[in-house]
Amino acid sequence: MSEAPLFKPRFNAAKPAFGILVFLLYVFLLAPLLIVFVVSFASNQYLSFPPEGFTLKWYEMLPKESTFMEGMKVSLIVAVVVTLIVLALGVPVALALDRFEFKAKAAVQSFFLSPLLIPSIVLALGMVLLFGPLRLNNTYAGIIIGHVAITIPFVIRTTLMSLATTDTSCEAAARILGANSWTVFRRVTLPIIAPGVIAGGVIAFIVSFDEAVISLFVAESGLPTLPVQVLRYVENSADAAVAALSVILILISLAVVVIVERVMGLRKALR
Amino acid sequence: MSETKLSIVDLTKRYAAGLDPAVDRLNMQVEEGHLVALLGPSGCGKTTTLRMVAGLMDPTAGSIVVDGKEITHTPVNKRGMGMVFQSYALFPHMNVEQNVAFGLQMRQTPKAEQKKRVAAALDMVQLGHLGKRQTRELSGGQQQRIALARALVVEPTLLLLDEPLSNLDAKLRETMRTEIRSIQQRTRATTLFVTHDQDEALDMADRIAVMNGGLIEQFGSPTDVYERPQTHFVANFIGQANFLDVTIISETGPAPVAGEASYKVDVEGLGGFGAVGAKGLTGAHELVIRPHRLKVTLTGEGHDALKGTIERVSYTGDALSVAIAVGERSFNAQLLTTSGDLPRRGDTAYLSWAPEDAYLLPAAAPGKAS
Amino acid sequence: MTLLKTRGRSPLQAAGSGELEKATEKRNRRTYLALLIPGLLGLLVSFVFPLAYMVRMSFNKGAPDGVIEETFTFDTYLQPLTDPYYWKVTLDTFQMGVTVGLLCVLVSYPVALFLARSQSKYRGLLLAIAIAPLLTSAVVRTYGWMVILGTNGLINSSLTGMGLIDTPLKLTNNITGVTIGLVEIFMPYAILAMISGFGRLSPQLEEAAGSLGASKAKIFARVTLPLSLPGILTAFLLVFVLSISTFITPRLLGGGSVQVLATEIYDQTTGLLNWPFAAALSVILLVLFGLIIAVYQRLTRKIGG
Repeated sequence: MSEAPLFKPRFNAAKPAFGILVFLLYVFLLAPLLIVFVVSFASNQYLSFPPEGFTLKWYEMLPKESTFMEGMKVSLIVAVVVTLIVLALGVPVALALDRFEFKAKAAVQSFFLSPLLIPSIVLALGMVLLFGPLRLNNTYAGIIIGHVAITIPFVIRTTLMSLATTDTSCEAAARILGANSWTVFRRVTLPIIAPGVIAGGVIAFIVSFDEAVISLFVAESGLPTLPVQVLRYVENSADAAVAALSVILILISLAVVVIVERVMGLRKALR
Repeated sequence: MSETKLSIVDLTKRYAAGLDPAVDRLNMQVEEGHLVALLGPSGCGKTTTLRMVAGLMDPTAGSIVVDGKEITHTPVNKRGMGMVFQSYALFPHMNVEQNVAFGLQMRQTPKAEQKKRVAAALDMVQLGHLGKRQTRELSGGQQQRIALARALVVEPTLLLLDEPLSNLDAKLRETMRTEIRSIQQRTRATTLFVTHDQDEALDMADRIAVMNGGLIEQFGSPTDVYERPQTHFVANFIGQANFLDVTIISETGPAPVAGEASYKVDVEGLGGFGAVGAKGLTGAHELVIRPHRLKVTLTGEGHDALKGTIERVSYTGDALSVAIAVGERSFNAQLLTTSGDLPRRGDTAYLSWAPEDAYLLPAAAPGKAS
Repeated sequence: MTLLKTRGRSPLQAAGSGELEKATEKRNRRTYLALLIPGLLGLLVSFVFPLAYMVRMSFNKGAPDGVIEETFTFDTYLQPLTDPYYWKVTLDTFQMGVTVGLLCVLVSYPVALFLARSQSKYRGLLLAIAIAPLLTSAVVRTYGWMVILGTNGLINSSLTGMGLIDTPLKLTNNITGVTIGLVEIFMPYAILAMISGFGRLSPQLEEAAGSLGASKAKIFARVTLPLSLPGILTAFLLVFVLSISTFITPRLLGGGSVQVLATEIYDQTTGLLNWPFAAALSVILLVLFGLIIAVYQRLTRKIGG
């Protein structure tokens, strides 16, 4: 026999009401992502509601849509190269910021994080102006350089976070055991900070892959990336092929989210 | 007689110009096979000294000589030392065997020999069965043993231990003390051991360097530093002590310990007493008497006993600490408990000591009025 | 017994003191510079040079057909600062930023409060879901809103289907659509900023207030809200700053009829090829940014102190 509670708990209407409110706000937050899923499987010829039937034709259309495939290729190449570059540049910077003492440290750190504070439209304009005389507009090099500044802060931040939580005596132990600086980095430091490096890398990848403004300015006419293609398509057509493509982009983002959440926690990585 | 393994000459570390040096012209010689404890309060420079010997930190001045070769400028990875860190610093991404094998890999030891030596090292610390485990699955004591095996498997020129027991709970700490000491004696690894725990140092070390403010206050065997403290700091830091300002009346002859003399000293206001100390002392000195060497009786027996009143009694089972006021002075004494009546607060007590239990600090007492 | 004289002052020590340290410092400096320099060069090329070049460009004289006169003049700034059209664009941009900021804070606050206080085992998952949209394409999310808000979109189809309206509501190609889209797009930023800013907020404090006899409403007004104010302020500023510089959403959901600084910069650059003018607009946007951040810092210092 369970004991009866001494007082009956008072029914509190505020609690479920708050729960419902939060639920509705979640629906609002996820609405645009959820709706493209629905539309991408709807057989309506033009964008309209309600869905008339189920179809995979929009997905079947994708491989035949050369603009999408071209854009996908450009975006993938750009994102992969950008990721490799910012990892190669950013991880050493994070190491210097965490493992060494020097005067301008705080300033250097803010400098490396500052591209996130500058509107990308302003950066994009700067790029297109500078790249004109350098003949870098509409080239891979141009887009890639354009994406370095906006992705490097993520790599530095996540790597710094990993470095801050590691025990430097592991590195000291390796050195005492006979390892030189490079071996210490390769065999001890890098494996230990791998979560931060991986998280930074995949975030850099997705930021570059999804980036639209700089790509639009620098390479709209000659070498459009996938987001630029989608932008142009959305402006001109009303069919749901772009919804199918969007679903694929969302799934790629989802993969990135899952990786980041697994290796270091999404909130920590994006703070 | 053993050979000198490590000698440290005028070693100095100043972290920044203008600051007091963390280590100030330190000199020390360590014999082959000895375990030397660097003992002192935090900030005394013991860890800094260890890190300079390891090569993790560059000295501001001075030199470090191992096996007759100066290594002051040798990079850390070329010194061939073994070190156990306070946090153990096991590589989290490697299993136990990989951790222990790391130093051998750096030395490009052949694979087969690596395997043999890793197994032997793990057997030595009684963890031969855990080779494939991940380090995070191990208990603190086990991690500590792995760290020890990792440091010893390379047959280091020196074994350096940085507060290796401070992260363990009290009981395990006792066990590990004995175990580290016995492994050290078996391998005959010359060892430097940093600790702030005097019991650890007394229990494990062949020699203790008592450090304070970047200086070695005293370097000697555990009995030396306990029985024959050379400074007030050493007497106070190691064990408990009663200090008395005394004036030497006369040297009365040789003492039981060779090279020392017996003295008659005047404790101001209380009369003359026997004491021992280095030969040739005169004038004002400080007298050190350990609490448990004070004889306390409740009846006035013995002719040069001091009469006092018991101020405070603290009972800890097997021992009884009492504070006894004699005039303006207060003495701490330690008695073993008996089944009979125990002294109580307010009782009259008589204090005395054997002359050889009262040791005169060699340095002249600073001129202070008592 | 080995009793070394340890306090002896050797005359040797004075010479060479500090030499070793200088050597170490030099070695250290070489290492960290080697680590920093590639990154610094990368940022120089992809960040500093473009911005510097743009600022310089804003002092040139431009003509609409892409002709640029190399000079040093403030003329380019005169037009946006004197022409009422650009005043209106700037004001509209500002107004949009404030509206989006306020609405976004309003809808994000309950979610952030819920996440900050939740003891649920799903808290981590719910938090991840709330901020995951950050890593999805702004183009895709804006497209989603076009599907929802469009003339034949979800809302209008549902409302006409239910017979509530005859003619579709105009929710896209105007500021309403842009605002709705931006509020949603910046929600994850606001939620993140608020949760980080809620540092001192704890359920125990609220329980303590309750145990002292405060009603639910009182607890909220006297404990919860004041303690979450720094988070709210940061979130508002962040969203404001993001909105006044955003381009994709005003472009797509605005459909050409919403003119803000960002769309104006784009039109001047790619349409009219008046680069000095676009550069001047960008500098104005940057100055606006700097001002707001300065005001914010003064405000937070006031609240914090």
